[in-house]
Amino acid sequence: MSDGVSHRIKGARPGTGPRARRGRWRDPTTALIFLLPMLALFIVFRFMPAFGSIGMSLTDYKISGEWSLVGLENYERLISDQVFLDSLKTTAIYTAIYVPLTIVIALATAMLLNSVVWWKGVFRGALFLPYVTSFILAGLVWRWVYEVDGLINGLLAELGAGPIGFLEETALVLPSLAVVSAWKGFGYSMLILMAGLKAIPDSYLEAARVDGASAWQRFWKVILPLLKPVLFFVLVIETIVSFQVFDTIYVMTGGGPARASYTLVYALYDQGFRAFDFGYAATIGVVIFLIVLVITLIQRRFLDREA
Amino acid sequence: MTVLKTTADTPSSAMTQQPPRRSRWRGRRWPLNMLLLVISLITVTPFFLMVILALSPADSAGIPQQLPERLTLDNISRMLGASGFIRWTINTIIYSVVSVVIVLLAAAMAGYAFARKRFPGRQVLMWSFLATLMVPVQAMIIPYFVLISNLEGVNTYWGLIVPTLANAQAVFLMRQFIRDLPEELFEAAKVDGAPEWRVFFQLVLPLTKPVLATLGIFVFLWHWNDFLWPLVVAQSDDMRTLTVGLATLRTADVSTPELMAGATISVIPCIIVFFVLQRYLVNSIAMTGIK
Repeated sequence: MSDGVSHRIKGARPGTGPRARRGRWRDPTTALIFLLPMLALFIVFRFMPAFGSIGMSLTDYKISGEWSLVGLENYERLISDQVFLDSLKTTAIYTAIYVPLTIVIALATAMLLNSVVWWKGVFRGALFLPYVTSFILAGLVWRWVYEVDGLINGLLAELGAGPIGFLEETALVLPSLAVVSAWKGFGYSMLILMAGLKAIPDSYLEAARVDGASAWQRFWKVILPLLKPVLFFVLVIETIVSFQVFDTIYVMTGGGPARASYTLVYALYDQGFRAFDFGYAATIGVVIFLIVLVITLIQRRFLDREA
Repeated sequence: MTVLKTTADTPSSAMTQQPPRRSRWRGRRWPLNMLLLVISLITVTPFFLMVILALSPADSAGIPQQLPERLTLDNISRMLGASGFIRWTINTIIYSVVSVVIVLLAAAMAGYAFARKRFPGRQVLMWSFLATLMVPVQAMIIPYFVLISNLEGVNTYWGLIVPTLANAQAVFLMRQFIRDLPEELFEAAKVDGAPEWRVFFQLVLPLTKPVLATLGIFVFLWHWNDFLWPLVVAQSDDMRTLTVGLATLRTADVSTPELMAGATISVIPCIIVFFVLQRYLVNSIAMTGIK
């Protein structure tokens, strides 16, 4: 339809002629009709729940549907709830392990991929593969990898060592879980960082080389500073992701041992769908939202300054 | 369905200016290639072993002591035969495919309105859509559940699907793409007096095929791999999706090879999507930061 006529009116400018003017008046109605499905979905399943979650955090909503307004009681309970405070700490420790681990792997593989010429596509595909799978699959496979008669302990047994309780020892469980998430997730950051590395003009690196800078110096003095905005973007995304960790914990440890992997979202799930204390669970949801919001605002701040 | 990113302008500018050069770190490629090979092998090893385990006979000594002497499809056929596995697969297909179709259609419509129509509050509305990306799904899961259970949607397909469809990243990408289409096409259609629905179905949809394909992949993967929402809303045995079904299987009831067989089957669509559409996937992440 369009191709046949487009050459005829090539000179037409938007907003000229009587038809265009009439079209402009028609716009709001047409727009509303086209927007309607998405708008309805957003109102019911984004705007309402977002505010609903804050509203529910002020109630003692129970699964029966009965509720009464309790003010800030849930929030007072939060700050004195040792289980919740520990979950906050656990999530923070997990993040402190997961984020640097993921970013170092992602940056290393991105730089390797950018500098290597053979089979680049194959390598990139292999490294990116875990990203398209589910956290549940990652959790199931790695649960076996970590098991007493699983892969790593089996190899250790051959050497006469072990077994190591990767998921059974309090000190090991968070690093072990972080490795699984890093394995599953680093491909995303790797792709973003690769694009960032490609944007660094070759001439900069050439100039540094001519000036006698070693590869090490070029990395710290040229590549890293120029990569800073991209690196920061990746850092923020991975931090947000790590505050939302749940699936692997559900399938690998169930929050254990002794709540050593009991994270924020796990606490929310536990309060909401095991204790059925919806009001309190919604309050934990608000806290998760606030954390993500703060991280996002820091990102905005930083990017505005860079720009 | 996490965060979006309008902020990754650096990656996007990167894609437009790939200088033709191969000079970086010349002469060091051998060790670098080897290092990359080792990292890649470590990365795919869990997949490889998952498949080997899935094909191992129940009586084999097991990895890593030894690789199985023969391979068998027993585990796979037992998974397919029992435990509602087929039902979970069908549920997952319904959850993913229906969601992809509705999200793409609704997002294309909304994107068209945002990109091509003037109406009061357009900017505010687009930004308030995008602002919802800051609210993690986990934070809204309780209101979702209360809402859906009040509407009697627990353990139904619509209850599972509908809350996941409001997708700001999809609307935003559609809007960007449709906005960059040549104005002349729309003027021509207008001059022709084509009704809006024809403009949409015969102009907008065909022209946005590339971005629809990309979005389709992401929406499919998000749903196929989704866990928390299906876990809470699809509780009955025959409403479970694959992720929920596999995660709730008790290790007492299934052997590790059987579990790996289930995992292997569940990942096949993702692997197919990955191999067929890798280029789309990789480029769109690099250009838009979509996650």
